Amino acid sequence: MRLFEYQGKDLFRKYGIPIPESVVVRTDAELDSALQKVGLPAVVKAQVLAGGRGKAGGVAVVKSRDEARKAASRIRQLRIGGERPSSLLVERATPIREEMYLSITLDRGTRSFVIIGARVGGVDVESMQGKIMEPVPVDGLKEWAAKSVAFRMNLWGQDEAQFVRILMDLERLCREEECELAEINPLAISGDGTMVALDSKIVIDDNALFRHHEFSQLPPEDPLEGEASKDGFSFVRLDGDLAVVGNGAGLVLSTLDLVADAGGVPACFLDLGGGSQQERVEAALRLVKKLPNTKRVLVNIFGGITRTTDVAAGLKKVVGEGGMQPIYARISGAEEAQARSLLAGTPVKLYPTAAEAVKAAVSKA
Amino acid sequence: MMLPERGAPIIVQGITGHYGSLHAGLMLQYGTNVAAGVTPGKAGERIMGVRVYDKVADAVAKTGATSSIIFVPAPSFYAAAEEALRAGIKLVVAITEHVPIRDELKLVELAKTMGATVIGPNTPGLIIPSRLLKLGIVPATSFRPGNVALFSRSGTLMYEIANLLSTNGFGQAVALGIGGDPINGSTLTDCFDWVRNREEVKAVVAVGEIGGDAEERLAKYIIDTKFAKPVFAYVAGRAAPKEKKMGHAGAIIYGNLGTAESKIAALQGAGVKVAMTPAGIPELLASSLKK
Repeated sequence: MRLFEYQGKDLFRKYGIPIPESVVVRTDAELDSALQKVGLPAVVKAQVLAGGRGKAGGVAVVKSRDEARKAASRIRQLRIGGERPSSLLVERATPIREEMYLSITLDRGTRSFVIIGARVGGVDVESMQGKIMEPVPVDGLKEWAAKSVAFRMNLWGQDEAQFVRILMDLERLCREEECELAEINPLAISGDGTMVALDSKIVIDDNALFRHHEFSQLPPEDPLEGEASKDGFSFVRLDGDLAVVGNGAGLVLSTLDLVADAGGVPACFLDLGGGSQQERVEAALRLVKKLPNTKRVLVNIFGGITRTTDVAAGLKKVVGEGGMQPIYARISGAEEAQARSLLAGTPVKLYPTAAEAVKAAVSKA
Repeated sequence: MMLPERGAPIIVQGITGHYGSLHAGLMLQYGTNVAAGVTPGKAGERIMGVRVYDKVADAVAKTGATSSIIFVPAPSFYAAAEEALRAGIKLVVAITEHVPIRDELKLVELAKTMGATVIGPNTPGLIIPSRLLKLGIVPATSFRPGNVALFSRSGTLMYEIANLLSTNGFGQAVALGIGGDPINGSTLTDCFDWVRNREEVKAVVAVGEIGGDAEERLAKYIIDTKFAKPVFAYVAGRAAPKEKKMGHAGAIIYGNLGTAESKIAALQGAGVKVAMTPAGIPELLASSLKK
């Protein structure tokens, strides 16, 4: 689960990581009182989860209340990565001497969390030159290791002391809140020499949410994705018109590739999960029915633990309720003959292979 | 990586649950020696004739088992796995889905210090048809004894590809799912290490997907260790969007990290024959192994 900048900064505040004074605003009245609190000049920032906010014009430095109002109403109308800002963060402007990068993230290859630090900020971490990396032991970072990162980043005196404190606090945050990523980009040294986190990017491990109820209260990024996870399947909204449904993440991923290769554009990725019961199949199809722009549905099932008869019964039931988009299905594996006979006489079109089902579904476009 | 011999006793942790009892039954049916079950508070019960114990240590003392398969839900998973390792279990097959990353890291660390193997979590398990050994939820009907080793990050894709291999005359020496999470107890490389000196394995199939760098690491391993057996691969997710978890917690592209293109290029660079569809795998095997 990805947090908004202001939610990440709430965590920074909780763990003692210095941030500029800031207020979250939704209305013009709130904007005025926020400006009184943080002072001018200020920075107005769109709160979105998508990247590329700066390039999309989602950040503005303002010197007066008028400028702030204009910037706020302009930013509210933006779409950044398809996303409209849910709120704005109004923050005291910080005079910057230097921008740096600091993050703690999972390195899957070495099966360890790793610190990444660099004396450049605000740029993409992948294209970053001269970055320092340091693995984090599973039971926490030792101060000498934090000092070694500071040393390798060539930070001395007051800079080193502040950096080590921030790194230790960020690691504690990352560990205790069970983040997959805790990033400060940029971490700035301001004009008066204080180090301060100007942005936050925090991703919480979804699988650890049962230990962190405060995050599970937050609304899901996509209401349909929230609905799907409640019903026990995974759903990702995409921008095409052909819904892709199957059992097993790898199988559905592979079906998306088949669709793309045939020239189609998927409307969603929907993995029913292993051992899907009829009710789950029904819930999944009813969700697809609600999906705007979806003209057809491709169902790809390989029955193993999943009983193909359960899938067929679910399909039959939802199609019988009416209003369902045309379904192109490949159902093979355990009990497939019974599954086929269950679907005989329904409008569900059956194909012997995934490739043939894909071809038929795409060519109807 | 250590895998059990034919007839080796196996413990099922979480055997009294719906999923645990269903699959304990299917494993027995396949011919696997499910020797004991463990569910705290259910000692003395029998599930399909299999005696249930409160503790792994009790089950180990009675059966001498050194392998355990875990079906307990994610919140109690780490405690169950730690209990197994501390009771002397040397192979943990972790079927449990949705395990937190930090629990996985702790388990990997503990297994290393105890000299044990972990497969998964979020794995369908493994099957060795010639040993009548099925440790997991893989559907037995897709698999036949044979000479191909099949290793996969995805469950259903493994079943589908095994089925295609079987119907085209390529049985399997072993088929094993490493799990769909960002952290795997055993990696694709560990699996390749297990087969590299096994006479009975004539070809290896790796099924990858977007996210992480397991395939890139495998490619490097094949080159660095001069892996001699023919290797075939399929990588799912060429059409997947970035920054989205595609069903598996581990199937996510960050920036340019973890794309299918990078994995396919790395594997091809290591001399691996890469199929563009699951159905392409048996075709590639047929055309290269006949020569």
